[in-house]
Amino acid sequence: MKLAFPYMGEGSVAYHKLATMLGHEAVPTLKPTQKTINIGVKYAPEFACFPLKVMLGTYIEAIEQGADTIVSSGGHGPCRAGFYGELHQKVLQSLKYDVDFVIFDSVFDNPRRCIDNVKKMKGNNSFKTVIYTARTVYRSLKLMDEIEKQLQKMRPYEAVSGTCAQIWKNLQKEIAQAYTFEAVDRLRKDTQEMVHAVELIPVPEASRLRIGIVGEIYVVMESSVNMEMEEKLLGLGCEVQRSQYLGDWVDFHLIPHRISKPHELEIQKIGSEYFPIGIGGHARENMGWIKYFAQNGFDGVVHILPFSCLPELMSQSIIPQVSKDLNMPVISFPMDEQSGLANNTTRIEAFIELIKAKKFGSMLTKKVV
Amino acid sequence: MRVGIPKALLYYYYFPLWKEFFVQLGHEVIVTGSTNKKIINQGSKISVPEICVPIKIFNGHVLELAAMNVDYIFAPRMVTVEKSKTFCPKFLGLPDMLRYTFCDPQYHFIMPYICSKKEWGADVKELVKDPFLSQYSENQLREAWEAGVKKWQKFQAICRLGYTIDEAMVLYQKEGLPPQKEKNQDISIAVIGYVYEVYDQFVGMEITKRLEALGVNIYTFEMLELEDLKKQLKAMEKTLFWTFANKVFAAGLHYYHQPGIDGIIHVTAFGCGPDSLSGKMMELDSDKYGKPFLTIRVDEHTGESHLQTRIEAFTDMIRRKKLAKK
Repeated sequence: MKLAFPYMGEGSVAYHKLATMLGHEAVPTLKPTQKTINIGVKYAPEFACFPLKVMLGTYIEAIEQGADTIVSSGGHGPCRAGFYGELHQKVLQSLKYDVDFVIFDSVFDNPRRCIDNVKKMKGNNSFKTVIYTARTVYRSLKLMDEIEKQLQKMRPYEAVSGTCAQIWKNLQKEIAQAYTFEAVDRLRKDTQEMVHAVELIPVPEASRLRIGIVGEIYVVMESSVNMEMEEKLLGLGCEVQRSQYLGDWVDFHLIPHRISKPHELEIQKIGSEYFPIGIGGHARENMGWIKYFAQNGFDGVVHILPFSCLPELMSQSIIPQVSKDLNMPVISFPMDEQSGLANNTTRIEAFIELIKAKKFGSMLTKKVV
Repeated sequence: MRVGIPKALLYYYYFPLWKEFFVQLGHEVIVTGSTNKKIINQGSKISVPEICVPIKIFNGHVLELAAMNVDYIFAPRMVTVEKSKTFCPKFLGLPDMLRYTFCDPQYHFIMPYICSKKEWGADVKELVKDPFLSQYSENQLREAWEAGVKKWQKFQAICRLGYTIDEAMVLYQKEGLPPQKEKNQDISIAVIGYVYEVYDQFVGMEITKRLEALGVNIYTFEMLELEDLKKQLKAMEKTLFWTFANKVFAAGLHYYHQPGIDGIIHVTAFGCGPDSLSGKMMELDSDKYGKPFLTIRVDEHTGESHLQTRIEAFTDMIRRKKLAKK
């Protein structure tokens, strides 16, 4: 059994780690490239959402590297993502690929399949090992989130450009090897020291720009499918915060809320003003995040969605009015295989220019010396 | 009060029920005319460009109603009418989209939650929470709804006799049930797709009538008993999450198994999410059952001649195949 996982953000290192710690063989995580996208687009249904296409491409690449079992999450709607597994299976079958699927659904939807899946993943390990492994991976994820959030606030002001990126790269490399609690804690200490040692250019609070990123989880977190939106924003001198982090996702979806006390609950409450019921995906949370960003000193929001995404199209429909109500600039970027880099770059640069004009006074009225 | 119902989305499935409900409560029901170029254009103007065309059409009809001087516009939040299945996210968020698109105080909406385990049901406790409907007691609402259900059941019974929704919409207002519809043409085609695409005069371009004019027996999902549809879904490890997507998909499978059906036409809207998955699955299955499968994708730009050409070619192909077999 050689496992493969979909790739979503740098935290995906964790799946590989989880598999190897449980003694499975796994294909190294594969960050999507243009080739991955091309393969996915070729075989996926034309109007399926972009993440489905990219993931199909990822799976095919993994199978070519010897994977025979694909592990992914399921769901029970109303967003299409919950059905990805079934469709991927059908498409891969029609392409004559011989591959197993392990799809984790909620225990309540299909208890038999869920137990089977857990058994498959558990292998010959004792439950004690499994729990220890899961906790170590969870710790690693939390550490990555913690450092990433810090770096996203420092990147625009680093004195030597590239310092923060170096720390982030280093962490990704080291975390794959941290197999115990102690190792993760040691890594935390080391990395924190490095973070504190970064030399920063002092910038007064009033002239800082803060941008929030909201949208569909896959295109928000995976830089290769959103044309490195985050990099672009950081490069334009903005602090960035995303609505989605892998550790937060685990807190909200996999751990009882009484223990994890996720921030997302509060966000969901704020979002209920706009969508009183969950309409699938993260539409309600995204509206909550937009309001949260507006109330917490952010200057603008970038909304990223896959082309034809069902829930995000609903939030996109109400964003113009909400943006007016909150006096918060919001820009939407639909992503698919057709998006062009130059187009997005122009739009994002213009957006930031407008925000600067709004915040620091109009460029047009200012006297040019 | 004049209550307006947009002739879009689930109007085509639930209108007899909704109309009777408001008539029983003592209101006048106003319906917009069939979709035309003007309605679709004004709808597109105020909608997100890439949203599916049925939603644009719905918005166009809402604007149309506003011009018709209605007091209230009925746009229920269809949440669920089946255990552990919901509607497409666009239906779940529709009232919110309306709230934020039509902010002008001249618009008054009736937007109750429809939550039930039965297709024709509605939770009266949810209905009464709507500001407009709260002027009635729960009993009044229940009685009015049940009167609506009677009409709707007759309408459904007519569909089961082999009539399309267009025909049933006229027939249900007459006394008694019509006879079983005769289907004695040489070829039979199943036209599957959501009611608001197949029967919308503008985007669907009366495809059922066109096919009938070409000498084809028409079969659609609403002509099937619920049990037949459920039987198809039972065999699946995991079904789709959306009530109507499941119906359409199950109807597709049912007609694949039906020896009398010669081909399937899937009518879908540009950018329809559920169909992007179920359509592909049916397409992949078409080889397995050896039945031709045609996808007609409609949007606001669709021209009429392309549809005519494609369905003519499709029916010709099926006829020749049949001749060759003889």
